Amino acid sequence: MDRRKKAFFEDLTPGMEIPSASYGPMDRNGYITTAIILRNGNPLHLDRVYARDRGLPDVVQQGPLNQSYLYRFLTDWLHRPWDLRSTKIRFVANVFPDDILSCCGTVLRTWRERGEALVDCSIWQENQKGEKTLVGEATFALPERK
Amino acid sequence: MIQDRKALIGRVLPPFSYVIDAENVHDYLRVTDEDLATYRDAGSSRAAGYDRHVIPPSFAPWIALSALLRSIDWERDFYLDYRIGTLMFGEQEMRYARPLYVGESLIFTANVLDVIEKRGSRAFDVVTIGYDAADNRGAVVLSGACGFILFK
Repeated sequence: MDRRKKAFFEDLTPGMEIPSASYGPMDRNGYITTAIILRNGNPLHLDRVYARDRGLPDVVQQGPLNQSYLYRFLTDWLHRPWDLRSTKIRFVANVFPDDILSCCGTVLRTWRERGEALVDCSIWQENQKGEKTLVGEATFALPERK
Repeated sequence: MIQDRKALIGRVLPPFSYVIDAENVHDYLRVTDEDLATYRDAGSSRAAGYDRHVIPPSFAPWIALSALLRSIDWERDFYLDYRIGTLMFGEQEMRYARPLYVGESLIFTANVLDVIEKRGSRAFDVVTIGYDAADNRGAVVLSGACGFILFK
């Protein structure tokens, strides 16, 4: 259960950090289920020999699974998860089994549109070595105190 | 010999229907340890203010990718040879018009927006595919773009 203090629109200003969250260690046993849900049997995610033949240390965790933790970092913190409005996320490094992923964000802009209080933020994910694995931006709505 | 994928820009992919399957959502919640009560069942979703059993927003990118992966034949349409080539996700952009619910059916329409050739230690193409997903009333509920990296 997420225990981070939730924010209201008036609490946020550009440059503020969104409370971070960490997940892991990543579990390779989930990769088969992930492959089935995505219907993506790319051997890079399932076959250690195939991955090593391509110069990788182990199978690569599926990108959408990495992304799920970055989404969750935001949506668990929002008052209502579907207050998320848009995201743009770039995959910059591979995630491997046993990695621990930390998710972070910084407020870029607060604004209003059609009566909705909105926040743009930069978001990123890094592994236990401090290497960024995902970088991106997101926009979400927040309730106002008044 | 890899064919030039730039010729694919503008190609419209066949529409694809995707049903948000309850078992997939259940498995997804288990794999990702998403434990927010809101997603547990219809009653919990309603208690959190949603119309019916809502999925986590984090599952929406999986839906989009899965739908695209089902509508694309990488070997036939994008000349990917799995014996020598590799496919990876590069970037994903999403816009959410409303919450998505377990059991609903979405129709995806997609087209190839761009193909950019790049060269690092190996040559690769970045193929960007844009998409809209409409509900059974024809309203677009999800839209965005996915960038796939195809190593040559």
